[in-house]
Amino acid sequence: MPHSSPPPAAPHPHNSLTRIGWRRLRRDRVGFAALCIVGAYLLLALAAWSGLVASHWQDEVAHPYAPPTLFAGSAPHHLELDAADIDAADRRAASAAAQDSSGATGLSADEDPLAADLAAAEQQSAQYRSAGQARADSLPLGADQRGRDVLQKLLQGSATSLQVGIAGALLALAIGTVLGALSGYFGGLLDDLLMWGYSVFTSVPDMLLLLAFAAVSGRGIGTVVLVMAFTSWTGTFRLMRAEFLKHKGRDYVRAADAIGAGHGRRMFHHILPNVGHLLLVQFSMLTVALIKYEAILSFLGFGVGVTQVSWGAMLAEAPAELLQGYWWQMLAVTLCMSLLVTAFSLLADSLRDALDPKVK
Amino acid sequence: MLAYIVRRVWQMVPTLFGVMLLLFVLFNWVGGDPSYILAGKNLSAEALAGIRQQLGLDLPLPQQFLIFVRQVLTLDFGTSWSTQQPVSALLHSRIGPSLLLTGSMLLLGTVLAIAIAALVAYRRGSLTDRLVTLIATCAMSVSALVYIIAGQYWLAFKGGWFPIMGWSDSTLDNLLHYLPLPLLLGVIVGLAPDIRFYRSCFVEELGHDYVRTARAKGLSEPVIMLKHVLRNAMIPVVTSLMMSLPYLMMGAMLLETFFGIPGMGKEVVMAVERSDFPVIKAITIYIALATMLFNLLTDIVYKLIDPRVQLH
Amino acid sequence: MNPHALLATVAALVLLPAQAADMNKVLRVALNAPETGFDPAKVSDLYSSTVTENIFDPLVTYDYLARPAKLIPNTVSALPSISADGKVYTFRLKPGIFFAADPAFKGKKRELTAADYAYSIKRHLDPGIHSPWSFLVDGRFVGGNELVKAAGKGALNYDAPLEGIKVLDKYTLQLTLTETNFNFLPILAMPAFGAVAREVIKAHRDNTNAHPVGTGPYLLKEWKPGSRIVLEANPGFRKLVFNATPGSDPLDKAVVQALQGKTLPQVGRIEISVIEEEQPLWLSFLNRQLDISGIPQVALQSALVIDPKNPLKVRLAESYARQGIQLQRQLLPEITFHFFNMQDPVVGGDSKDKIALRRAIAMSFPVSEAIASIRRGQAVPMNYIVPPGVAGHNPAFRGAPKYDPAAANALLDRFGYRVGADGYRTRPDGKPLAIELACGTSSTDKQWNEYWQKTFDTLKIRLGFRQGKWNELSKANHQGKLQMWGMAWGADYPDGENFMQLLYGRNAGDSNAADFKNADYDRLFEASLKLPHGPQRNQLYDAMNKIAVAQQPWIFGDIRMRSTLAHSYVKGLKLHPLLNTSWRYLDLQK
Repeated sequence: MPHSSPPPAAPHPHNSLTRIGWRRLRRDRVGFAALCIVGAYLLLALAAWSGLVASHWQDEVAHPYAPPTLFAGSAPHHLELDAADIDAADRRAASAAAQDSSGATGLSADEDPLAADLAAAEQQSAQYRSAGQARADSLPLGADQRGRDVLQKLLQGSATSLQVGIAGALLALAIGTVLGALSGYFGGLLDDLLMWGYSVFTSVPDMLLLLAFAAVSGRGIGTVVLVMAFTSWTGTFRLMRAEFLKHKGRDYVRAADAIGAGHGRRMFHHILPNVGHLLLVQFSMLTVALIKYEAILSFLGFGVGVTQVSWGAMLAEAPAELLQGYWWQMLAVTLCMSLLVTAFSLLADSLRDALDPKVK
Repeated sequence: MLAYIVRRVWQMVPTLFGVMLLLFVLFNWVGGDPSYILAGKNLSAEALAGIRQQLGLDLPLPQQFLIFVRQVLTLDFGTSWSTQQPVSALLHSRIGPSLLLTGSMLLLGTVLAIAIAALVAYRRGSLTDRLVTLIATCAMSVSALVYIIAGQYWLAFKGGWFPIMGWSDSTLDNLLHYLPLPLLLGVIVGLAPDIRFYRSCFVEELGHDYVRTARAKGLSEPVIMLKHVLRNAMIPVVTSLMMSLPYLMMGAMLLETFFGIPGMGKEVVMAVERSDFPVIKAITIYIALATMLFNLLTDIVYKLIDPRVQLH
Repeated sequence: MNPHALLATVAALVLLPAQAADMNKVLRVALNAPETGFDPAKVSDLYSSTVTENIFDPLVTYDYLARPAKLIPNTVSALPSISADGKVYTFRLKPGIFFAADPAFKGKKRELTAADYAYSIKRHLDPGIHSPWSFLVDGRFVGGNELVKAAGKGALNYDAPLEGIKVLDKYTLQLTLTETNFNFLPILAMPAFGAVAREVIKAHRDNTNAHPVGTGPYLLKEWKPGSRIVLEANPGFRKLVFNATPGSDPLDKAVVQALQGKTLPQVGRIEISVIEEEQPLWLSFLNRQLDISGIPQVALQSALVIDPKNPLKVRLAESYARQGIQLQRQLLPEITFHFFNMQDPVVGGDSKDKIALRRAIAMSFPVSEAIASIRRGQAVPMNYIVPPGVAGHNPAFRGAPKYDPAAANALLDRFGYRVGADGYRTRPDGKPLAIELACGTSSTDKQWNEYWQKTFDTLKIRLGFRQGKWNELSKANHQGKLQMWGMAWGADYPDGENFMQLLYGRNAGDSNAADFKNADYDRLFEASLKLPHGPQRNQLYDAMNKIAVAQQPWIFGDIRMRSTLAHSYVKGLKLHPLLNTSWRYLDLQK
């Protein structure tokens, strides 16, 4: 069999760039530290999301607004009322009034259709009675208005915020990339149509889109992710369009065409890996932006529901708390969020430097 | 150039139409029914039907859309559904405070950011550079909410250096009294990302060949920076500045809410709250028009600054 | 002195309008939500009413100091004479009351006449105006319904003769009702029924909200919608001298001391800001940028010293009392509650198992805990449909079920709401059980939602939240799409009928948001309409309340205690249960 040289393999620049990039990143101390921090957060988030950690964050384990253990002495002293106080006052008012008036004092047994059933239920209710839980006076990071542990909320909130930020970023990236790729690669009418959509979306103020989507799909994590994705895809779109336009005319793509690769294959198997490093940087920038955006959304009332907690939801409680002198939840969230966002931003910078093909 | 401008203006039409379509669909689908708000405690079917008729909501949708088109062409959006004030008068009174706030934020923020960014780009790689970048990154990671809430509490209330909130009719009074604190907080929030962005523009510029050539020719660093690098780096700076101009009109919603500044940002939120379609329409169309016009202006200015750029 | 000068001086003193308002006295207050406008026939929200109350004059008003609230003549010379059958009211206006100046009057001083009141009342009937208050006057006047029908979809014919609203002469107005109604006079005291001038309405037909012209103590000087309102004393306001004898309340003595013999209003200028966020509002007050303010929920703990044995007994905190800040408190004549959609297949209906479901939910909602936590104890649990302070209230009645989630769980077990494998209950017929609660999106709503989540978790029932803006939810409720929602109702007039009508079958789809239709309740309600306030009517009200408690269309909520703070230099302040503001009775002594 004549030995024919194998056809020139399509270049896989992303492999070598990835390897070079990884080596550069490792050498960049700041970038590497940032990567480790982000990794740690992701691990914690995973643990919280899977229920290993902080799964009982909703339990009211302390007195309302219990201070952090180290600062227990300096917290403001406010009277904490509870249901018993209110009930006692109400009972006193009722008995005082009953003495004066001659009117009815309530529903009597023969007027209530459920009287017999209620009596029976009363006897069968023992299985549902539970002794109250002792409530702590202070916790490592303090407690919020309902007496929930700020530390547990923080861990669970990190999971939610990261989930929302990453999901939103991925979705925005996906939309922007697909549309940008189609637009840049095919050009012509499709490009005109997509550019038209792009101009329309960038001309409408974010707030309106936000409220419109929220009204349609209700509130909660899903909506937040959707909303953020639909208002953030435009940057990626513009970038990918320019890149695909640039790469379309390059030799390696023409070579792929020559060997019979279809459009889809050319776009996603050949061009996409070459712009992957740009996408990675975009992804980290988007995640950072969306994590911060989520805080504001929660403040405006569009965030996650009552059964979930996120950094934004915790920050939304901050103005009320600060006015009363309770500073620990806001400080904890700010520091925690700040650390992650800083690390992510530094990581994005380092990635950009590490993956920049122009730098030798 | 003229042909280019004409073509671009012509291209604005479909975009504007797209915006109108999007707005119309959004509002009629999810916009909420304003008649429920206007009816107050009287929720009888006749009252609601009557209000809807008065607002023109009982007309068939295509007819409503044509009315919308006419409004856009004449730039007259009628009267607000909730207050019956003419929309144009409403927006007129709101734009001033917003522009004052965001305009001064832009001015002060840009000048400071460019100055700091040029300085650290000049000393690229040094300890100062890395420190400033780190501080900027950290500062950026704190939510704007925290700055505003803490700022108002500590600087205005506890410190007493600024009034807590308010706005007056005299521009001078505003500049001296009511503007400083929101301006300060707004600049702080925006400074860090701007510094990072401008720094990266300068650094990129400094890496170009002509800088090495200039150094080789013997020009001093300050001359290189001021005469060559700055001017070339201004291109992306100016571009990003001009792209953000339309959003000046939107005002800084959070700042306006907390400091009681009667601007556009708060107006948008209130209008959406009350399903006040005329106001929503007006604001959206104005911003859309402004965005398109400023995009065009940016491209023209781009061409004028950088002769290498080919407009197509 | 020169006799001519003397004569001139005396003449000037006598003929000059009694303008005692000092323009240097500026009262600064804030509203926590934006106003809508100032046409009394078009606005119904509280915030707009604070302004219309000071610009327009209704026929009658309330005595400032008397408690319980007592009606007194405002622009009439005496309370109206009422015919024997209680259907014909005759009002005699005081001559010499003038509208504030307006270009529509073409330079002439415009006197208030009976025709103005006839016009103002008819505006609420006008189908072209869609007054939110029309439910108070629809069908009330003889011939009214025919006039409205004749108008069809267009404007009312104001000049057509109407038997029920007749102008007998320039200063005499006669109103003839179709049925006796003991609450009619208090209705006429509302700011919505203040007098407007026809020429002004015609001149500003497209924008009556921005051009309020009335005979009241203030006029609108400046308006930035949603942001700022400035009122200035009406120079043409009639001479009104404060003259009252203090009652037993020590506050009365302070008010009388500050105001006796003085011409009202004293304050020349009122600057109203709209501040929606709590922090800026509270800090502005503490910083003396506002003169009067409520206490936002977050500041209740720091501003008040609360007695744990009696949470409603409070004292102002030391640091504030030292500055001379005054505190006044008042239980609002309002109720808050959550209702079930009685036509809903899952939660509505009057079969025992549905009643049991509603009763179990009511028994598991921790109202007292919510009051302790969210309201900081500054509220009382609601126990009767008519709140305290309103005629017909029964203070001894306890309508809210005892908080007992354990018994509630057992009750559900008894009626076949079995707990399934997933830990959640199913309906008796085996179908899955999930309930949706509609709610707003503010942070206070979120706090309440946490308690609802706890309630349903304890009962092991799946709970979903349907969040939306108020108008969206209102529309959905109208269309019967909601299962549960919360509501509040404030008194339009101080009579129990205004509250008992909320469960009247005929009002279903309107103010009866729960769509509750019970034949016994309706029968009792209609009988109660024929009675004045008294022990006979109270008996009927008790019976109606028992039906409401037994059937459980509502989960009773709470009634808030309103706290108002004012700086030391604000004199003459006494909170009134029905008047929205006391601005004309204030004096600032800085």
